[in-house]
Amino acid sequence: MKKYSIVLVILVGLFGCGDDYYPVDEDGLLITDRAECFVSNFELLDTDYQTVRTKNAVIDTVAQTIDVEVRWGTNLKRLWPQFTLVTDAKLDPKITDWTDFTDISSPREWTVISGNRKVKKTYSVNITIQQLNP
Amino acid sequence: MCTKYYKIFLLTFSFGLLFISCESDEYSVPKANTQLHNDVIKRTLGPNVVGLDIEFAYAMALGCERGHIVSAEVEASISGATGTFLEHRSFHTDNGGNDVGVVVGEPSITAENTTKVIFSVDTCAATLRYYYTIPEEARGKSVTFTFSSTASTGERVSYQMGPYQIAKMNIEKDIVLSNDDKCFFSIADMKVYDEAEALQRTDKIDLVYLYRAIPGIAFDHALVSPDVDATFLQGKTVPSSIDNATLIQRAFGLQDQHLARLQFGIYVDDLDFQTLNISDASNYAIDLRAEYGAWIQTVDNKYRAYVYVNAVNNGDETMTISIKRYEM
Repeated sequence: MKKYSIVLVILVGLFGCGDDYYPVDEDGLLITDRAECFVSNFELLDTDYQTVRTKNAVIDTVAQTIDVEVRWGTNLKRLWPQFTLVTDAKLDPKITDWTDFTDISSPREWTVISGNRKVKKTYSVNITIQQLNP
Repeated sequence: MCTKYYKIFLLTFSFGLLFISCESDEYSVPKANTQLHNDVIKRTLGPNVVGLDIEFAYAMALGCERGHIVSAEVEASISGATGTFLEHRSFHTDNGGNDVGVVVGEPSITAENTTKVIFSVDTCAATLRYYYTIPEEARGKSVTFTFSSTASTGERVSYQMGPYQIAKMNIEKDIVLSNDDKCFFSIADMKVYDEAEALQRTDKIDLVYLYRAIPGIAFDHALVSPDVDATFLQGKTVPSSIDNATLIQRAFGLQDQHLARLQFGIYVDDLDFQTLNISDASNYAIDLRAEYGAWIQTVDNKYRAYVYVNAVNNGDETMTISIKRYEM
């Protein structure tokens, strides 16, 4: 009987202390020790969920820019950007709908927030359209 | 003390378990129902579209020592279109998974909304298939079916199926568009016209088909609105009187079963058109390939449609399409 009591006390102690070791942010996401903060990949999808890129996006993690060339004829009003981020990082604002990239002179911006939620880096997405007669 | 009670409990429980486990129920083969009885399954999936079939399998049986089946019939609440029939063969599946039909009666006779098969062989069980070709008058309504069979004993059984909602949309399959000839498409008519024909009905032309092989650019087969920017017409001249502004949104991975007739179990239904929102769509869809599609909305929002690309041919500069169209 004593043995069971000891095990129970240890278990309660372990679970009871859980919240202090694994804090979560306002989105319910885990806050970790990671301070890395960058975009590792970028995709841009059309309404048919196919890519509109002509080649891989160029991501400059120092200048915090993403340069992407889209196919000639792409409808810039309804595109869905997809960011691949470093582990534990998150994006602000969240992408919950189609995004309008029509005004290519004013690049759209998203902020990457590190896993420890202390580092923030804003990336600009620069769109260029493939030329008809290159 | 605790241990003692625990041991007593275990012993009692074990004995109890022993008694229960040793009890054996005598198995007996269930007795078959020898009364005439019947059952139906619906074999077709997806929305019920006018012009297409709804298929059922109707099974009936009675004890062989009691008699045989005399007739089977189906009564539809709305008379089926030409092509509606009840199989006079009873189907079963052989070891290879193939459907095998055995003739059990005379070909069905349809009188008004009832289709009947008179049995000509002495059989006490059969599964007949019923194909109901959906008539125009059923569009937007619901249809019910009453399956009945009679036996030589005088017994009669029935089985109700439905109601099944018939879709409002129209369907048209395998329309061939060609680059320099029949390239003007009307959603209202669901037909393709050449330029001379198109000029007779300019307000009804919603799409222009063109094929252009442009180096470095994914263009090839395209459907564009007549009012599209000249860049997307790539030299094609559209008469100025044909100027409808159609919204077009390309789709991929939507191989509607009715239109594609491929292995995909995907269906575009009335509800898809009712909830479709392509107000931000462009007025062109370029680089269309086989198995691609496009959502269409006419300038007056009278029609919404889904155009599926069955095939493209770069040599002939043609595109074969099938369409589902919904009148708003």
